[in-house]
Amino acid sequence: MVRKIAIYGKGGIGKSTTQQNTAAAMAHYFGKKVMIHGCDPKADSTRLILGIKMQETIMDTLRELGEDEVTLDKVMKIGFGGVKCVESGGPEPGVGCAGRGVITAINLMEENGAYEDDVDFVFFDVLGDVVCGGFAMPVREGKAQEIYIVASGEMMALYAANNICRGMVKYAEQSGVRLGGIICNSRKVDGERELLEEFCEKIGTQMIHFVPRDNIVQKAEFNRKTVVEFDENCNQALEYKALAEKMINNDMFVIPKPMSMDELEQLVVKYGLVD
Amino acid sequence: MSTNGLPDEIPIPIKGITYQQIKVEKIPMSESYIQRDSSLIPTASRTVSLNPCRTCMPLGAMFATLGVHRGLPFVQGAQGCTTYVRYTFCRIYKEPAIIANASFHEDASVFGGQKNFVTGIRNLVVRYKPDLIGVVTTCSSEIIGDDMTSFIKMAKKKIAKEIGEEEMEKTKIVLINTPSFAGSHVVGYDRASKAFLSTLAKEKTEPNNKINIIPGMMSPADIKEIKHLLEVMGVDNIVLFDTSDVFNTPLRPPMELPYYPKGGTKVEEIEDMANSMATFALSPHEGGAGAKFMEKKFGMQAIIGPFPMGVKNTDAFLKTVSQITGKPVPDELLDERGLLIDYMADTLNYTMQKKVAIFGDPDIVVGATRFACELGMEPVAVLSGTPSKIFNMQIEEIAKEYEVSPKIFNGSDLFEFEEYLKTIKLDIIFGNSKGVDIARELEVPLVRIGLMVWDRVGYQKRPVVGYRGGEFLLTEIVNSILDYRFPDDRTQQL
Repeated sequence: MVRKIAIYGKGGIGKSTTQQNTAAAMAHYFGKKVMIHGCDPKADSTRLILGIKMQETIMDTLRELGEDEVTLDKVMKIGFGGVKCVESGGPEPGVGCAGRGVITAINLMEENGAYEDDVDFVFFDVLGDVVCGGFAMPVREGKAQEIYIVASGEMMALYAANNICRGMVKYAEQSGVRLGGIICNSRKVDGERELLEEFCEKIGTQMIHFVPRDNIVQKAEFNRKTVVEFDENCNQALEYKALAEKMINNDMFVIPKPMSMDELEQLVVKYGLVD
Repeated sequence: MSTNGLPDEIPIPIKGITYQQIKVEKIPMSESYIQRDSSLIPTASRTVSLNPCRTCMPLGAMFATLGVHRGLPFVQGAQGCTTYVRYTFCRIYKEPAIIANASFHEDASVFGGQKNFVTGIRNLVVRYKPDLIGVVTTCSSEIIGDDMTSFIKMAKKKIAKEIGEEEMEKTKIVLINTPSFAGSHVVGYDRASKAFLSTLAKEKTEPNNKINIIPGMMSPADIKEIKHLLEVMGVDNIVLFDTSDVFNTPLRPPMELPYYPKGGTKVEEIEDMANSMATFALSPHEGGAGAKFMEKKFGMQAIIGPFPMGVKNTDAFLKTVSQITGKPVPDELLDERGLLIDYMADTLNYTMQKKVAIFGDPDIVVGATRFACELGMEPVAVLSGTPSKIFNMQIEEIAKEYEVSPKIFNGSDLFEFEEYLKTIKLDIIFGNSKGVDIARELEVPLVRIGLMVWDRVGYQKRPVVGYRGGEFLLTEIVNSILDYRFPDDRTQQL
């Protein structure tokens, strides 16, 4: 059974980095067969795994060669740890319809049987804001069953996480998608762990892992590598290993209970983040 | 100057056409044609389509849904998406087509079509009590990204609350995704065949000793003719999307309201299709997906094509049916075949070596190309309005067999086709009503075949498939040639 996972979170929070490192850890330490489907028009969800920005996105192939030419061998690349990578790609900023691009890309991949063949985990890395129907495609029925939200102790990240939960509730009833937990990608703000834990408790989920901030992530990124590949024994790599293990063994899947705006603000005030 | 080359003031001759008017050989390329910029002629080098030979994808899915008994299409889109299709069906068949619509306005495109859908389906179920609703999506709903699977669940839940679970279950709902930018009406029908079977066909239980037929977008008379062939063979069948008594119905006071035509494939029959011996997709491009689905899901034999038009293709169909069912082809059909052969021999002097151009949907074009070759005609140009992966191969196979070399247009528009026809010698065109102006300009007859025939009546009442269909079509071909090429007093001596 393939587990399909969608990663959401505020723009810039570190979704792609976290997701690639976790995927790399799953493959490297646990021998899992992993696939990443990047659903961001910028097509930068697989750069660290591949060591280079994906050159042939699904949408590029569609535009230049036509629908019939979109085959797995053209758009799928294998990166570190045997992780299979595809990128939806999409139009330039300001033109066309990126949301439709996501729908088309996922449909084409399904037609080609990409999610069935010999994979344990499929990650959908989605644009920060679920701005329209297209970006919710990965959580429709028969697609991703698990969502993880990347957040930090910053107020806006919590607002975004709460908003994503609100959107999720609607889909949860219909498609059966469940929240697997919140991943804290630490920004080293005061009381971060406690704030996140209380937030998770309020919305009825778990903080699946607290990923500390470490400059080695940036260093590895400059080298176009995941931390796991860059230095498999460093502390940060082991953190991702722990996260990967928790995700593999996770059995807490819930429909979140999003907080009201007032509640959320009170929570933030409680931890003294509003000056 | 009028089209027959005489000044307009001369009245129509009463005693037939004079010898001066005989045109034994015609070269269409005349001064009156304006030479186009040759770089703009190929469809591929233009960004616009001129006189396209296809229409939009939802039309095919609506056609299919109407072929189900008490089946109603529900179009998730703006009203124009439905109006045009209803108008087209009325133009072709002179019959009403009941099609519901979600009536998208500006708000639906911003907030998504959920509200319109749930309310619309509710009204449809409560008021019309259909056996089946085919949910047909459109460009706008596909672009917005409507999550139709969820919407259907929501609507069902809402309606069940109102009228009860049991009542709701009486109406089956099938989703057919048809973003028109992804293909033509041909693809729409093809997708519908797969969607209906994957949604409705139940697991195998007892063999029903039937065969499944997915005819494609044939006329009511064509489907009747297929059923006639099978009836004479003594083979029970399930025709998926049986429009024969839907697009051709008697005018009688309705016995019950709301009114539904008595024809159409019953939902139970579709559910039973996995128990059949084999699935025939008579039009590979229209229904092939459904047959392949049945093969993959239930391990059932899928026979895809050929379009049963003319002698060899009809032979092939009957032979395969005979092989699968073990029933021989009876004398009655051999007689029908003999009649067609006799007719072909009787009329060979008119059809032999006539240069023919054929256009339309890919399957009927391939079928008609072979039939034309069987008549001794020479196909000089063929066009499939819908792009196809197999069309070239299919035509080349026929061309090799009969040593002809038609120019093949795959997915081109009729502008390109017309410009090519102006440069060659041509006697006759087979195609639909979209080619009327071309035939007029080239001064050749147009024999109407295919779906989009709306400028003549009665064409849905006479078949072109099977042996008898071959006779009807041959009559039409020969009479058209006679109209254009032979004066009255000569034909009397024939």
